[in-house]
Amino acid sequence: MWLVGDGMIHKDAIVRLESVSTVYEGERRPAIKGVNLTVRKNELVYVVGPNAAGKTTLLETINGLLPLFKGEISVFGFDVQTHGRLVRCGIGYVPQDFMVKPGEPYKALDVVLMGRYGRIGILHRPEEEDREKAVKAMGLLGVEELANRPMGKLSGGQQQKVMIARAIAKEPRVLLLDEPFSNLDPESREKVPSLIRCLHEENGLTTLIVTHDIHNMMKECRRVVVMSNGRILVDGRPEKALRIMENGSYAASMEAIQ
Amino acid sequence: MIWLEFTIMQRALLACILSGFLTGLVGVFVVRMRLSAIGYSMSHGAFAGAALGVATSMNPLVTGLLFASATAFFIGPIADKARLHADTITSIVFPLNMALAFVFLTLTPEIGLTSQVANVLWGSIISMTNTDIVYLVTLCAATSAIIYFAWKELFAIMFNRKLAEADGINTKPFIYLIILLSGVVVTISLKLVGGLLIYALLFNPASSALQFLEDMRKIMLASPIIGTATNLVGLLVSLFFDLPIGSCIVLVSTGVFAIAVLFSPKRRREVK
Repeated sequence: MWLVGDGMIHKDAIVRLESVSTVYEGERRPAIKGVNLTVRKNELVYVVGPNAAGKTTLLETINGLLPLFKGEISVFGFDVQTHGRLVRCGIGYVPQDFMVKPGEPYKALDVVLMGRYGRIGILHRPEEEDREKAVKAMGLLGVEELANRPMGKLSGGQQQKVMIARAIAKEPRVLLLDEPFSNLDPESREKVPSLIRCLHEENGLTTLIVTHDIHNMMKECRRVVVMSNGRILVDGRPEKALRIMENGSYAASMEAIQ
Repeated sequence: MIWLEFTIMQRALLACILSGFLTGLVGVFVVRMRLSAIGYSMSHGAFAGAALGVATSMNPLVTGLLFASATAFFIGPIADKARLHADTITSIVFPLNMALAFVFLTLTPEIGLTSQVANVLWGSIISMTNTDIVYLVTLCAATSAIIYFAWKELFAIMFNRKLAEADGINTKPFIYLIILLSGVVVTISLKLVGGLLIYALLFNPASSALQFLEDMRKIMLASPIIGTATNLVGLLVSLFFDLPIGSCIVLVSTGVFAIAVLFSPKRRREVK
């Protein structure tokens, strides 16, 4: 049983960070400092904050992709430092601003299928079932007709949808999405967050989304983590987060990035 | 084709086919994983080893193989330890190997650039033995098997190493495996074109295939075919014009790459 941001005690924590500080290679100042965060099963959490607030670092630390940290992190009850690969097999991750250059020899379906490779296990080959799941995930995002097109020939928005499909095809227990809607057109910006919420509700997916999109944040979630200067400023309901964000220097920095 | 009746030429032909296939296959990973400087380091490692072998009256091929393999074996772990890209480490190891080679040669001025050292440096088709062919066949089979079984992981790493890690793949052993495999392939193929030209065999076929194709599986088939074809054409050119085989193979291979760049469909502007 762990203490979470809203002050209540919960036994069903999926992600738990205790006094976590992460330092990037070659840097002295930690990108996140003394972060305490507990995310329960089936929770949908939006993470917001100005640029360089530590949002991406937070996701990559949870994923165990940044090894230089102090404190304790556990995901699914496993220590990320000692069971990193096992943990990552259960996490669907969409990185920030991931773009494949034109001419790169990877088809969209191959990229989505790669999301399942960790689950399939070493030296095993993907089977028809894996391919079907990859195609189904592409269908959910409305990009199944792009399956055999090279990734580099897709638009930024299409690539972003393929990357989300990749994370979903993995059938993860936790979704970590880093600004997954930034390149989408206005129509998709409405549809895709709703789809993520539906998947979260139907499959009980624990989901953390880093975003600058306040509109979707207010509409789609009940818990917001506001970060600034590598620390968590607020962890609570969206209205509370919005109030804090509208006050003081934070509002100015948010305006600058909107 | 009277020259085919000679055993030496039959061996040369086989060596061209096998090493073209091998370097074309491994080259795709070297190019896609941006391990380009590794070829320079290992080939010069082999040269340093051969120089040491001559200086100490040991078999230059054995010492060359040891040096090249050691270079390949340590590059990955050192790059991880120093938290630098493997390309950076290879750029440091490359001049180190050259410096060692010249020190070994200076220690034994009476030997200097003997034919044994020159063979490793420039390649020598007549020095190809049946044992070399057996090595090449074994390495072809082993490399094909490794790529078949580890294709999923290697494919994901070529796409993006960080994402492969995020998917739960332990990328380090696979990167080390490719580095080590490249080292062995370079060393075994040294006799054909020599240490100074071998890296062209690693990069040119893969780079040419990448100009035309947008499907990694097709590139994996095309690159060894291009490697084999350019080796065979290079061999024929060298026989007809009485030129060094290594140089001819590299010239043909570079010519193919130039044509691939000129006619690459990837560079054609889309007509709207």
